[in-house]
Amino acid sequence: MLSSVFAKTLRERLRAFRWWCLGTVGFVTLYGSVYPSIHGLKVLNDLVKNYPQALKGFVGFGGNLDIASGAGYLGTEVFSFWGPIVLAAVAIAAGSGAIAGEEERGTLDLLLSLPLSRTRCLLEKLAALVCETLALAFVLWILLVIVSYSVGMGVSAGHLGAAVLVLLLFALGFGVLALAIGAATGRKALAIGLSATLAVAADVINALAPLASWLDRVKLISPFYYYTHGDPLRNGLDVSDLLVLLAIVVVFATVAPFLFRRRDLTTV
Amino acid sequence: MSAVIRAESLTKFYGTSRGVVDLGFEVEAGEVFGFLGPNGAGKTTTIRLMLDLIRPSSGKLELFGLDAQRDSVAIRRRIGYLPGDLHLYERLTPREFLRYFAALRGLDGLGEGEQLAERFELELDRPIKALSKGNRQKVGLVQAFLHRPDLLLLDEPTAGLDPLVQISFNELLREVAADGRTVFLSSHILSEVQRLADRVAIIREGSLELVEAVDTLRARAFVRVEATFAKPPPEKAFAELAGVRELERRGPVVVLALEGSADPLIKALARHEVLALDSHEADLEDFFLALYRNGAGGAL
Repeated sequence: MLSSVFAKTLRERLRAFRWWCLGTVGFVTLYGSVYPSIHGLKVLNDLVKNYPQALKGFVGFGGNLDIASGAGYLGTEVFSFWGPIVLAAVAIAAGSGAIAGEEERGTLDLLLSLPLSRTRCLLEKLAALVCETLALAFVLWILLVIVSYSVGMGVSAGHLGAAVLVLLLFALGFGVLALAIGAATGRKALAIGLSATLAVAADVINALAPLASWLDRVKLISPFYYYTHGDPLRNGLDVSDLLVLLAIVVVFATVAPFLFRRRDLTTV
Repeated sequence: MSAVIRAESLTKFYGTSRGVVDLGFEVEAGEVFGFLGPNGAGKTTTIRLMLDLIRPSSGKLELFGLDAQRDSVAIRRRIGYLPGDLHLYERLTPREFLRYFAALRGLDGLGEGEQLAERFELELDRPIKALSKGNRQKVGLVQAFLHRPDLLLLDEPTAGLDPLVQISFNELLREVAADGRTVFLSSHILSEVQRLADRVAIIREGSLELVEAVDTLRARAFVRVEATFAKPPPEKAFAELAGVRELERRGPVVVLALEGSADPLIKALARHEVLALDSHEADLEDFFLALYRNGAGGAL
């Protein structure tokens, strides 16, 4: 049962994961049950149209604020607000716990006294992080498909899948960043704080970009831009966005073992 | 035959603070090597260097003739390690914990863990978080021995063990040594190392003070006598006595090292008014006191 670092890490995460799943079920059900009462309310669209630009940036997904349509509604409620927060939180929690968490609890010394290279240890924990986030994204996708069909949102399973996939990669970027910071420093609080701050900054930069022309270029470094700008709920998967988000994950995953290998482990 | 452990000018600084400085020693196969020093002397640093948990600032460290850093995974396959500051996975039971560690070492089941647990009377199926300090220490010991390692790195292994378990532990160490396997045993207790080790290295403030056979060390053993007088006795009152050296003087309190017969000292003490008298076998601190009073390697 506990036959590898990978299996052990997944088992440790299972307890919290069940709660995340339960919360996801609750929220998606709630969003789905509210949709029929606002669907087709043109007055709502008119209202939103008069929002100041700064606010539109925060609530819009793919630059379209037609929240009375299924795609617009999900884009605003699930994909620009609740979804990124939850998936990034799960990924960052797993990433910061992977090395730094175990180091701060004092068990890493014993684990690495076994014939197990640091790189191997880190990669198994990385694999567990990816599996956990992927599993939650999958649950989210299934729920959204069910809700979309049952309340007639008119968003296809494929488009929902595309949006969930870029959401997953967006979250993994920050999760793997947290893992890399933890692996480089052994400090869990720093790993959580820095990666969460950067995740929020990514959103803010992207949201404020329409307001200031100088931000228009800066937004190109924000993962949030690549996450939202292709509008996958309406247009399906944008492969170039996907590749940028994937590249971010790969870069952090490549740097992390290198940083972990070269330092002294700390004691409690 | 090559040494199991060979350290050469091994130095470790953490930033500017001292870990160990210029360590040089060899440990041969089949010996129990005591690594003795007060807390903070650098014992744990030395062991963590051997496991590649930390990297030396300079110098060379080889285990089984392999480089401690480059060949670490191959080295660790042959090592059993008990940390001085033991942290376990609290949510697991000892059985799950040991099975996990055995699996990561490529063993089925618990390896030798089952017999060892029985020997130490370790309960395998209660969660670790519910175990006493002594029982946790047993879990640590069992995981260190379960793959029959060629080299055991034991950092203060008897901390928290009750006396009966200590006896089983001592027996286990003797069996391991009789088997031709090697034990590196760190401790701050002189008597423990004297009881278990063949040779001993003494480390203090990061540097090796001496490396020698325990029998030689035992020949230097003495009794510490601390006498409190009504008024301070004259400077040379006891210095001339056979087998007696003065270690320390704090007003009316005089600390003496005694070797051989106590009779001359008792008769000399009787000439003064003695308010209190305490005597016990010298421990590590007394030993250091004697060492530095006389200069290293002096007429100890």
